[in-house]
Amino acid sequence: MAVGILLITHEGIGPALIAVATGLLRQLPLRVEAFEVPLGGDPDALLPQASAALRRVDGGFGVLVLTDLYGATPSNLAAKLARLGTPVRRVSALSLPMLLRVMNYADLDLDELPAVAAAGARNGVIQDDA
Amino acid sequence: MLERELLIPNRLGLHARATARLVQLLSGFRCNATLTAKGREVNAKSIMGVMLLAAGQGTPVLLRVDGVDEAEAAAAVVALFERCFDEDS
Repeated sequence: MAVGILLITHEGIGPALIAVATGLLRQLPLRVEAFEVPLGGDPDALLPQASAALRRVDGGFGVLVLTDLYGATPSNLAAKLARLGTPVRRVSALSLPMLLRVMNYADLDLDELPAVAAAGARNGVIQDDA
Repeated sequence: MLERELLIPNRLGLHARATARLVQLLSGFRCNATLTAKGREVNAKSIMGVMLLAAGQGTPVLLRVDGVDEAEAAAAVVALFERCFDEDS
């Protein structure tokens, strides 16, 4: 029961987060890939490539798609992906705490992971006045 | 329940990589685990939780484990601290 993780982000963000998470955890327990959307990218034109990435990370238990900014083209592309048939759940405001927390709950199924991801991002915000 | 008093041994303290080691180690055990430092108790199986301690080198921390495999978990954590989280210093 391993969910796939697909990061759909603006350029430079997804691969950097995967690189750091891999450096911290040594080996990521879930299949992860980053799909970068250039500024001004056309979601319809990018859909086939994004769909191929989605299929690469899907092990048959669905894919958690994490996007960096809700309402931006990467998250609009993610919304299109979610209508292609593969079970997809989407969470936006991707951050390192979110990605690490998802990896820390790698045995959960697709329906449970969105809340885990959201809590990871929320709990990662610390107003550090100490 | 078991408790172990430990000192953060490594130069960089409980930074992200060391925290990830600790959390990954504890995730292999079924017992509950908490760390207490500077008056704050956090879930020792949560990366953000442990990093919230912002515990530097020499900080005293209290490990508390509670569950069927608590003895093994405590021993494993003590060993990880003794190995300086597998870092150089």
